[in-house]
Amino acid sequence: MKREITRRDFLRLSAVTAVGAVVAACAPPAPTATPVPPTKAPAPTAVPTIAVAPPVATTAPQPTAVPAAKYQEAPMLADLVKAGKLPPVDQRLPKKPWVVASYEGNGKHGGTWRRAFNGVSDRWGPTKLVDRAWAWFDKNLNLVPRVLESWEASKDGTTWTIKLREGLKWSDGVEHTTADYAWWYKNELNNKKVTPGVQTIWADPDKQYAKFEALDKYTAKFTYKKPKPMFIYNMVRGGQGGTASAGPITPSHFMAKWHEDTTTDKAALEAEYKKRGFASWEKFYVDRAQWWYLNIERPHLGGWVAKNEMAKELFVMERNPYFFGVDPEGKQLPYIDKVTHRLFESQEVKNLWVTNGEIDMQYRHMTIADLALYKSGEAKGDYKTVMGIGAGHVAMQLNLTTKNKLLNEFFNQRNVRIAISHAINRDQVNQLVFNGMYKPRQYSPIPMSPQYYEKLSNAYIKYDPDTANKSLDAAGYTKKDANGIRLHKDGVTPISFTIEGTDQAGTPTEDAALLVSKDLAKVGIKATYKYAERSLYTAHYTANDIEAAWWGGDRTVLPLVPEAQLFRGLNADRPWAVAWGFWYTNPQDPNAVEPPKDHWIRTIWKIWDEEVSVEVDPAKQTAAFKKLLDVWATELPYVGILGEQPTPTIVKNGFKGYPPGMPNDDPTGDEQFCSSETYYWDDPSKHMG
Amino acid sequence: MLAYIVRRILIMIPTLFLISVISFALIQLPPGDYLTSYVAQLRSMGDNIQQEAIDAMRDRYGLGQPVYVQYFKWIEGIVTRGDWGQSMEWQKPVSELIWERMGLTVVLAVFSLLVSWLIAIPVGVYSATHQYSMPDYAMSILSFVGVGVPAFLWALIIMYFAQTQLGMNVGGLFSQQYLEAPWTWDRVVDLLKHIWIPGLIVAIENTAGEIRTTRANLLDEINKPYVELARAKGLTENRLIWKYPVRVAMNPFFSTVGWSLANRISSITLMSVVLSLQTTGPMQLRALLSQDMYLAGSFLVLLSTLTVVGTLISDILLAWVDPRIRMEA
Repeated sequence: MKREITRRDFLRLSAVTAVGAVVAACAPPAPTATPVPPTKAPAPTAVPTIAVAPPVATTAPQPTAVPAAKYQEAPMLADLVKAGKLPPVDQRLPKKPWVVASYEGNGKHGGTWRRAFNGVSDRWGPTKLVDRAWAWFDKNLNLVPRVLESWEASKDGTTWTIKLREGLKWSDGVEHTTADYAWWYKNELNNKKVTPGVQTIWADPDKQYAKFEALDKYTAKFTYKKPKPMFIYNMVRGGQGGTASAGPITPSHFMAKWHEDTTTDKAALEAEYKKRGFASWEKFYVDRAQWWYLNIERPHLGGWVAKNEMAKELFVMERNPYFFGVDPEGKQLPYIDKVTHRLFESQEVKNLWVTNGEIDMQYRHMTIADLALYKSGEAKGDYKTVMGIGAGHVAMQLNLTTKNKLLNEFFNQRNVRIAISHAINRDQVNQLVFNGMYKPRQYSPIPMSPQYYEKLSNAYIKYDPDTANKSLDAAGYTKKDANGIRLHKDGVTPISFTIEGTDQAGTPTEDAALLVSKDLAKVGIKATYKYAERSLYTAHYTANDIEAAWWGGDRTVLPLVPEAQLFRGLNADRPWAVAWGFWYTNPQDPNAVEPPKDHWIRTIWKIWDEEVSVEVDPAKQTAAFKKLLDVWATELPYVGILGEQPTPTIVKNGFKGYPPGMPNDDPTGDEQFCSSETYYWDDPSKHMG
Repeated sequence: MLAYIVRRILIMIPTLFLISVISFALIQLPPGDYLTSYVAQLRSMGDNIQQEAIDAMRDRYGLGQPVYVQYFKWIEGIVTRGDWGQSMEWQKPVSELIWERMGLTVVLAVFSLLVSWLIAIPVGVYSATHQYSMPDYAMSILSFVGVGVPAFLWALIIMYFAQTQLGMNVGGLFSQQYLEAPWTWDRVVDLLKHIWIPGLIVAIENTAGEIRTTRANLLDEINKPYVELARAKGLTENRLIWKYPVRVAMNPFFSTVGWSLANRISSITLMSVVLSLQTTGPMQLRALLSQDMYLAGSFLVLLSTLTVVGTLISDILLAWVDPRIRMEA
C-alpha cells in the first residue's frame, strides 16, 4: 500500500516537473532588450541657417508651381519640431522639392495603411513603396525626374549629365550629394571585393566601367564609349539595396564605416564583423549594409523608414521626415504616416483579412482567381476591388532548342508553330476558365505600352483547326497512330511532348493548360501538362531538359526595361530558346548551343545590339524595337494565348490616389505606380490603427 | 533504477548525433542549394545577377565546401558556442529566430495534450462502462469523424466560422496591436483569446484516437476477475472503476508521451501554415523549401531532441508505474 502511494506521488510530481522542464527548456531566453530604433532623428549636420529661398517651379513637366507660402508640416512631426528635435519642414526639404500630385485630388496628412506580406523573401512588396530613385513614370509612361532635378544626354547618347536636387536629404538628415556617387564609384563599383564581376548597366560592351566625374556638389557626369540610351532607366527603381547593388544612391557617410578603405577605425570594424560571424569585412559590408529592411539604420530616400526588422510578424514603417516630395499645395509627402505589413502563411488567412476589411490597399498576392471572393466581401469589408491592367499573359513556350531531336525538328518549323497557335480555341479558354475577362492575343506589349505592336498581338490567334490540320499535313506529318496522334518523320514515334509548369492542379492557369492540351489533341498532337515543383522546374530549364513550358509572360508594359530579355530568348525560365540564350550570354556554358548561321534569332539579336540598345531618340528606338517584334509576328517563337489580364487591387473605401485602369507590372512598381507617397485617406482620423 | 536512467541518457547522445547527421544529409539531398533558389528568385524579378556575384555569395555562405566540412562547422558552433548558424533567407542568426517560436509551439503542444487528455479519459471511461448504449454510439461516431478529418480542414472550417459567424479576427496568435508588443498581462490575455482555436483543433485530431484507446483498454480490464472481486467486496461502482481498471488502462498514455508530443508538433505545423500561426511550423517548412539549411537543420534537431526527451520521460514513468517493465538494456 505504501509503495503505491509513493509511486502515485512520484507520478504526479514527475509529470508536472517534466512538463515544466520541457517548457523551460524551450522558452525563449530572457527577453534581451530588443534594439529600439532611436525615435529622435540625429541632428542634421548641415542645416542651412538662413530662411530657405521660395521654391521655384522646376523644369520637369510637373503640376503647377507651389504657392510661395511655407511648406506644410505633417501633424505627426509637428511636436518633434516644436520640441526642437527636428528642424522645421522648410529646412528638411530640398530647395526645389519634387512636386507631385495625387491622381485623385489633394490629400490630407495622417493615418495608417495596413498591408500583408509573407516573409523576408517577400521584401519586394514593401520595397516598392520606398525604392525611390532618379526618375519615375507619369500617367502616359513618360519618364520624369524624381530624385534628380534634371538630366541631359549628349546627342550620341554616350555622355549623361545629371543634376541632383540641392538640399535633398537622406532619411537621417544628411545631405545627398554627388560625393555619395563618387564614393560609390570608387569604393563599391570599382572595388573587386565588394563588386565581383561587372555590373553591365554601368559598363560598356567591353566590360569597362563608364567614366564618372562629379562636376560640383550637385552635378555629375557619366561618360560611356558606346551610346547608353537606357541610362536613366537603370535608376528608376532600386537604390535601396536588396538587389545586386544599390547603385550610386549610396549613403556614403553611413557606409564608410563598414568599408576597409574608408573606415577610421579598422580594429573596430574587424572586431564587429568577427563578432557577427563574418569571415571578412567585405562579406559583412555586403551582407549587412545593403538590406534596408533588416539593417534599419541604413538611411535611404523613400517616403517611409523601417521601424523594426522585416523578420518580425508585423513590419512597421513610418514617415521619413526628410522625404523630398511635396504636393501642389506644399504639403510634405507622404500623406500617410505609417505603413504596416502583417505576416501571413496561407492564402486563406490573407483572404479572410481582405474580406474582413483588415487590408487597406494592396495588389501584391491578390489573384484574379479569387475575384469572386473579393467581390463578395466588399460590403462587409468596406472596400472596393479596383481593376488594373496586368502585363501577364497565359502562354506556352515550345523549347526550340530541346534535346529531343524529333521534337526539335518539329518545333523549329514556322508553319508548325503557327498551326499550333491556330489549333487553340482561345475564346473557349477565356470563357470557361477566366469568365471572359482576358483578351485573346499573342505575348506582346499591351495597348498602353509605347511599344504596342498590333500585328504581333493579333498574329495567328484565330481558332482554325482546319488550317492547322492542313499546315501539319503540308509539313509532312500525315501519318497517325491508332489513337489519332500524328507520327514524327521517322514514321514510328508519335508527336508527344510534356508541358512543364508550376501551376498546381485546380488553379485556373492549370485548367487553361488542360484545355489547350485537349485542343492540340484534336489536331493530332499529344501535349501533356505536368506540374513541377519550382526548384525541379528550375533544375530542368537550367540543364535544358525541358520540352515545353507553361510559364506565361509579363513585362509587357515597358518591354525595354530591363533590356527585353524575354523577347531575346535570354530568360531561361521562359524557355523558348534555352540553349541559344545560354550561347548568347556565355558561349562556354556547357548547355550552350550556337543557333544556325542564318537563323532569325540572330536577326532579333542584331536588331537589339545594333539598333535598339544604342538608339538615343525614344521614337526611333521604339521603331527599331517594333522591327524586332515584327520578326516575332512572322516567326512566332512563343505561343501566346490570352493577355491584358485584369488585376484586382483591394482598396478600402476612403483610400484615395489609386484609380482603376492603371498598368500593373514589375518595372512600373505594380500598385505603387501612382507614387505611394500621394496615396491618402479622405478621413485619416478613422484610420489611425 | 538510477543505472537505468543513466543508461537511457547515455544512449541519447549517439541518437541525437545520428539525428543531426540525418537531418543535415536530408536537407542536402535535393539538387542545388539555397543560392540556386535565391538566384532563380532574383532572375524571375528581372535581376540580371552575374555568375561572379553568385560565386562570391557561394563563397560567403561557405556553400562551396564539402558537406561534411559544413556539417562539422555547424555542430562545432552549436556545441562550443551555442551558435546555431546563420539563416540565409532571414539574414539573421538562427538562435534569434527560433526560440520564441519553439516556446509557442511547446505551449501549444502541451496545452492541446492536456485538453485532449481531459476530454479523452472521462469520455473513454464513460464509453467503455456504457458499451453499446446510445451515448457510446454517438461518441464513437464523433471520434471516428475526429480521427478521419485532418487538422488543416478543421482549421479552415473553424477559421471561416469564427470570422463569419463570430466576427472574430483570425489568423495568428495575437491581435495586431500586440504583435510586436513586449510581454505584458494584456498580451497573455490576448494570446489566450487566440490560442483556443489551434488548441482545440489539435486536440480534436488527437482526442478521438485517445478516446478509442481508453475505451478499448478499459473494456479489456473491466471483465477481469479482480474487478469482479472488488465488486463482490461491495466497492461502489465509481470508486471501483476509477481506482483499478482505469489506472491500468492509462498505461498507453504514459508510454506514448514521447511521440504524442512529436505528433502534436507535426499537426501543429500543418495547421500553423493554414492559420498563419508563428510557431516553428511555417518557418521550418519555408526553410526546407528554400534550402536554408542551418535554419531547417536546427529545427529538425531541436524538435527531434524534444521527441527523444519525451521518450526518455515516458520510459522512466513506465518503469516506475508498471512493475512488469524489465530494467535490462
